[in-house]
Amino acid sequence: MSQSTPKTDLPPIAGKGMLAAARESFILLIGDSFAVAGMVILTIFAAIAIFAPWLAPYDPFQAMLTESGRLLRLAPPSSANPFGTTAFGNDVLSQFLYGFRVAFIVGLVAAFAVGIISTVFGVVAGYFGGLIDDVLMRITDVALSIPTLPFSIVAVALLGPSIENIVLVITLLFWRNGARIIRSAVLTERERVYVKWARAAGASHIHIIMRHILPNIFRVVFLWITMSVAFAVLTEASLSFLGLGDPTVISWGQMLNTAFSSGSLRTAWWWVLPPSLGLIFLVSSLYLIGRGYEEQANPRLRRR
Amino acid sequence: MRAYILRRLAQAVVVVWAVTTIMFVMFRVMPADPTAVLMERGMTDAARETLIAQWGLSGSLWDQYLRYMGNLLRGDFGSSFFYRKPVWEVLWPLIGNTLWIAVPGLLLGAFAGAALGMLVGWSKRGGKIERGGIFLATIIRGAPSFVIGIALLTVFSSTLGWFPGFGMGDPGPTQGFARYLTLDFLHHLALPLIAVIIYFLPENLLLMRSGVVENRTEDYIELVRAKGVPSSRVAWHAARNSLLPLITWLFPALAETIAGIVVIEIVFSWPGVGRELVLAVTRQDYPLAQAAFFLLAVMIVLANLAADLTYGKLDPRVVYK
Repeated sequence: MSQSTPKTDLPPIAGKGMLAAARESFILLIGDSFAVAGMVILTIFAAIAIFAPWLAPYDPFQAMLTESGRLLRLAPPSSANPFGTTAFGNDVLSQFLYGFRVAFIVGLVAAFAVGIISTVFGVVAGYFGGLIDDVLMRITDVALSIPTLPFSIVAVALLGPSIENIVLVITLLFWRNGARIIRSAVLTERERVYVKWARAAGASHIHIIMRHILPNIFRVVFLWITMSVAFAVLTEASLSFLGLGDPTVISWGQMLNTAFSSGSLRTAWWWVLPPSLGLIFLVSSLYLIGRGYEEQANPRLRRR
Repeated sequence: MRAYILRRLAQAVVVVWAVTTIMFVMFRVMPADPTAVLMERGMTDAARETLIAQWGLSGSLWDQYLRYMGNLLRGDFGSSFFYRKPVWEVLWPLIGNTLWIAVPGLLLGAFAGAALGMLVGWSKRGGKIERGGIFLATIIRGAPSFVIGIALLTVFSSTLGWFPGFGMGDPGPTQGFARYLTLDFLHHLALPLIAVIIYFLPENLLLMRSGVVENRTEDYIELVRAKGVPSSRVAWHAARNSLLPLITWLFPALAETIAGIVVIEIVFSWPGVGRELVLAVTRQDYPLAQAAFFLLAVMIVLANLAADLTYGKLDPRVVYK
């Protein structure tokens, strides 16, 4: 019998690339109408965020004046100000459009940071186990007892209210949940026969992680990143609503904070509705995507 | 069982210790100059010295840490800059106020969510109830707590005038616990409590619904059906087996719920621990902020402890080692 040398281009040993895994996930996603609705909303919102400076009729901080030169406070919607003005004479539509930018920047940067940190920690702990795994799990035990918003309130107040610090605090808070979820997915994957086979065939750890583990836990990582964007947007909005947002940019939470603290809730519905609906639609579109995906990926939930 | 409780208690103590250490890092190490953060403008040198002594800000970081831990062990969190009295005197009456909206809010939200989730999960797959229920629950789950609060405040307080939207009401002649039984108090409690319930309900609904859907195709359900049990009673079988994951999730979710409650207390000016934390931070009253943060963290640790100890009662499969 001739000894056959293992070839890494055999399909089971070669594994699959991340692109193939991403394509599989996308096909799962478009099978769910709620997830499709979420993706459509998200795409439109992203486009608005990118083109906000061209779409906004005024500078968000510009004060509107009446013909007699006085500040145009709390004007209801008109042709000049389609969404009316704030108690400080700013154009609500322009502030609302710029608010898309902050929400997307915070969501994307935080998701990127949280996604990378969670994945690296989760994969290293799950794949190699041992001391690093023990240490990581003890850290997450403690981290999960930290009340998230109170921590962000104190940390942002001490570090100074800026977008950078808000994103930093969100990253500090939410990597822990992700690392745990991804670790347990890696633990199951590591014990699969094909991983042992690939190892026996001489594949390196890096090869196994990149071509076998990661593409197969892609679904878990993707779901976690979707959730992180939602948490990040919600946390930034809550901090801004509490008056701890970055004062140099306009965010939806901050618009609501100004409306609330100036006592305009009852009268100025045109000021309160746009940021509220913006937040609801942005966060729930993420939840719609996450939920639809979970539903499609779990055979016990899929409709038959 | 006793060994398990002891070990779990020890674990809780370790977590509290770790949280206090994180607090030390937050308040002493994170700001470049902790004295600058703690000092008030126009403080006399003598007051400055007292403050440095009170906060143990002299000596090496390690000495400071030991002194800080010593003070905490004696329950000494210092005095509030703003109220000019010990922080516990400020916070103690507020704990009950927070629990008044947090505990009934959590329980009612979980109960209503589970009931509605059972209904949606047992409805026809792809039918109106299922699709509508899931869609509504996801939209409400996406609403930040302050948006829920603002909506309730605008509609039921400012516009319709049915409920007061500010504070806890005037205690009048009734003092102590009796004030919580007055109609005026319940009238003030209604809106913040409803806000917590709405904030907390959708997640429970969706979890329960997934559980029921997963269970409804199991063999034991077929068996119950085959025995001729009416559909509503069959649903109950599936629901009971979906409750455990819900309860497993319920207590750890408290950490997130506290976040929502802090904001709801602000919207309705409800005098609770969370609102006091935000006020303390904006007033740069750090001793008070530190104690309020500690209190919220301890509430979560205790809730997690309670959860772990009750699982065994709910699920006979749980074995204490």
